[in-house]
Amino acid sequence: MTKDFLSDRLFSCENSGLGDFSALLGGNCKKMKKKLTGFTMLLLTLFLVLAACSNDKDTTDEGKNESAGQEKDGGTLTVAVSDNPQVMNPLYANDRITLTVQQALYAPLYFMEEGGEKNFILAESFEPSEDQKTWTLKLKENLKWHDGEPITADDLVYTFESILDENQNSSIRGSLIFNGEPLKVEKVDDLTVDLILPQVSAAFEGVLVDFFPIPKHVFENETDLMQSELNQNPIGSGPFKFKEYKSDEYIVLERFDEYFAGKPKLDQIVYRIVKDPNTANISLQNGEVNMRLVEPQDAQKLEGTGKLNLHTFPEGRLFYLAFNLESKAVQNKELRQAVAHAIDKEEMIQAAFVSDEFADPAASIFTPDTMYHTEDITTYNYNQDTAKKLLEEGGIEEGHTLKVIYANNNKIMESLALYTQQKLQEIGLKVDLTPMDPSAYGQKTLDMAATDYDISYGGYIMGSEPDVYKTLFQSDAAYNYGRYKNAEFDQLWEDAAVEVDKDAREALYKDIQETVAEDVPYLPLAYPQAILAVDKRFGGIDEAKPIPVTMVEDLSKIYEVE
Amino acid sequence: MKKVILKRFLNAIPLLFIISIIAFLLIKLAPGDPIQSFVTPDMNPDDVERMRKSLGLDQPIYMQYILWLQNILTGNFGYSIITKRPVLDMIIERIPATLGLMGASLLLSLIIAIPLGMITAVKKNTIFDRIANFFAYIGISIPGFWFGLMLIYVFSLQLGLLPSMGMRTVGTDSIWDVMKHGILPATVLAFQNISVYMRYIRSSTIRQLDEDYVQIQYAYGASKRHVLFNHVLRNVLLPVITIIGLSIPNLVGGAFITETVFSWPGLGLLGVTSIFSFDYPVIMAITLFSSVMLILGNLIADILYSVVDPRIRLRG
Repeated sequence: MTKDFLSDRLFSCENSGLGDFSALLGGNCKKMKKKLTGFTMLLLTLFLVLAACSNDKDTTDEGKNESAGQEKDGGTLTVAVSDNPQVMNPLYANDRITLTVQQALYAPLYFMEEGGEKNFILAESFEPSEDQKTWTLKLKENLKWHDGEPITADDLVYTFESILDENQNSSIRGSLIFNGEPLKVEKVDDLTVDLILPQVSAAFEGVLVDFFPIPKHVFENETDLMQSELNQNPIGSGPFKFKEYKSDEYIVLERFDEYFAGKPKLDQIVYRIVKDPNTANISLQNGEVNMRLVEPQDAQKLEGTGKLNLHTFPEGRLFYLAFNLESKAVQNKELRQAVAHAIDKEEMIQAAFVSDEFADPAASIFTPDTMYHTEDITTYNYNQDTAKKLLEEGGIEEGHTLKVIYANNNKIMESLALYTQQKLQEIGLKVDLTPMDPSAYGQKTLDMAATDYDISYGGYIMGSEPDVYKTLFQSDAAYNYGRYKNAEFDQLWEDAAVEVDKDAREALYKDIQETVAEDVPYLPLAYPQAILAVDKRFGGIDEAKPIPVTMVEDLSKIYEVE
Repeated sequence: MKKVILKRFLNAIPLLFIISIIAFLLIKLAPGDPIQSFVTPDMNPDDVERMRKSLGLDQPIYMQYILWLQNILTGNFGYSIITKRPVLDMIIERIPATLGLMGASLLLSLIIAIPLGMITAVKKNTIFDRIANFFAYIGISIPGFWFGLMLIYVFSLQLGLLPSMGMRTVGTDSIWDVMKHGILPATVLAFQNISVYMRYIRSSTIRQLDEDYVQIQYAYGASKRHVLFNHVLRNVLLPVITIIGLSIPNLVGGAFITETVFSWPGLGLLGVTSIFSFDYPVIMAITLFSSVMLILGNLIADILYSVVDPRIRLRG
């Protein structure tokens, strides 16, 4: 469940704009003033007055109009997304936009609820054998693809085999390989398949959360599924079926009347591709767009218009500070612990996320929605004296220099970096800040041999299955941002992956979280909230369940209010 | 003349070749890799390597260039790395949007700039001239994205007259709807051009007004209006031809920033999208396309010049 792992890429889409519109009128104008003449200022004032006047009117008119109307049958929900979808095929979807559209177009086998309970969608049941190596997957009866064909065990077998086929380059192939051995699939009857694991895997249930069957009868004769033109016209199994896609304009989905879990309430879902976040916020206010994920800086202003409801929910992301352990400057453990003591996470959240409503302080490397997340680990309270004492114990001299890098297009990262700089200087360290181009930054943080920086920042969303996290933490993992090398720690991950006893597994993952907390190769900073702004003319958002990455879990539950 | 045109075309070939090499190198030197769009952390290194191979990214840069060149020479622009669609299709479907927007803005700016430029020349150094010049400076200095957002803020949000983004309302397919969506972006683009063109036409008119033929007309008692519209205008329009010629690459290349602010689905927006995702087959195709149009635009301007003004001869 490693959906939008490359957080910098995601942020680059959403944060690359100019920022808040009011800041543009107020704050940034100061910079511009020197360049512009008096007359422009006059023009500006005119705009401002105009804006102010009509703004008042809007809020008073709409303020009373709370969403308490009757549920209507039909209607169109327009959702703003920041980019085009890539390949509209579940075998290749791994960016936020494609996953968002896929959520409406395809139904999964099941959703994983908090606490590890399965909410079955296409699947009727999913049970392991005694030895935990064979899992029997049974589909519900009378399921249909969007073209009316039945969904059967053949589709499941075909999908598994396509993912495992090296020539198809599916991006989720790795999750079906266990210690170098692929999973085996056997058809039992028309609705049932047996999945045979080469070894016991405790993570298997979590892996299949991302599994969306594709129709065999559609793709059968294609040689290259990734390049296939059929992906331009996807046939899915979800509550809405594909109607039209115009690149850089919109994607239109239509209600699928035969959706097994009940007819969706809306007629249509339109995803509009709006590149500029400021334009998107305006479209949200004038009703051209009805739903969008917004930034903390914009939240209050948007709520103030009285036209929108804001739904905040945990984004499932962790913002962290990573020490580059290849660099000598941070190899001292006392220094890293001192840094942890020097940062007041509450205050930092105010600085980077506007309000404590929009982020919670973090201690564990696992986000709260991840299984076996625990709060019961070493924490570092904010205390400058302790920090200074630790520096002394570690033999760190006054003026010891740390090189901090961050991506220059990401407002949150920038605030985190500036805050760290100030706080570390207060305990007598010297900090060199280097903003970098986002792609160069991405490359630098993944260059395992780089020694020319000490601290970087990032944010990941890894989902509910803790096993997935190991790609960030094991010694030779490609995404080991901290360059943390610890053989015992590596073994803990391996053991936890095959431990089927829940309590034993929990203990192993607790050890893992504690190791990082104590040794501080990474300093977890904050779990941010996602903010979904929805037009008051639409209801049922809570039933549809807001979730990270794809906005809501089940779009069929959203309705328009009369 | 045919000879000259042929010669120009032949000259263009090495030029395009050099442009393509530079563009290719620049893309490859920039930090970042299209593979970033596909890799997830749970992919094992073998899978990543295989994917890299299937996209041809494992080859050395010069081999990648040669392969690309081979394809181009056989008319194959390849597939987009990100969307997997044929690049040529992607470009062709964008041309109407860009051509419409850029054409409208060019037309709008000429309609305003020509009379304004001539009037300011005739009324040189009066209050009118100063105010017009002042606006010209504002037009040049105001950043397009800011002006665009301002217009959206006022006309879409406050007044609710015009849509804020996109090219059409979903489900409608009328010219009027497209025009309505195009008004704001076309205005932003025109506003910047007007300033430049107006200054251009103004100085050209001033030069013409000093010419002997104008003085003689006056001496014969011709009215100011007659001189201006029957004699000066024709000569003033000569530089306009250059403007149009040089605008051709813009006409088809689109406007990166304005198209992004208004989500106008033209070539400019495609360019921005593909640059951010390192989709180099698309970037290269757009670069090549714009270069060809630039060369073609220049040639057309020169030819028109010699047609309109026989004193000017085309020389290879």
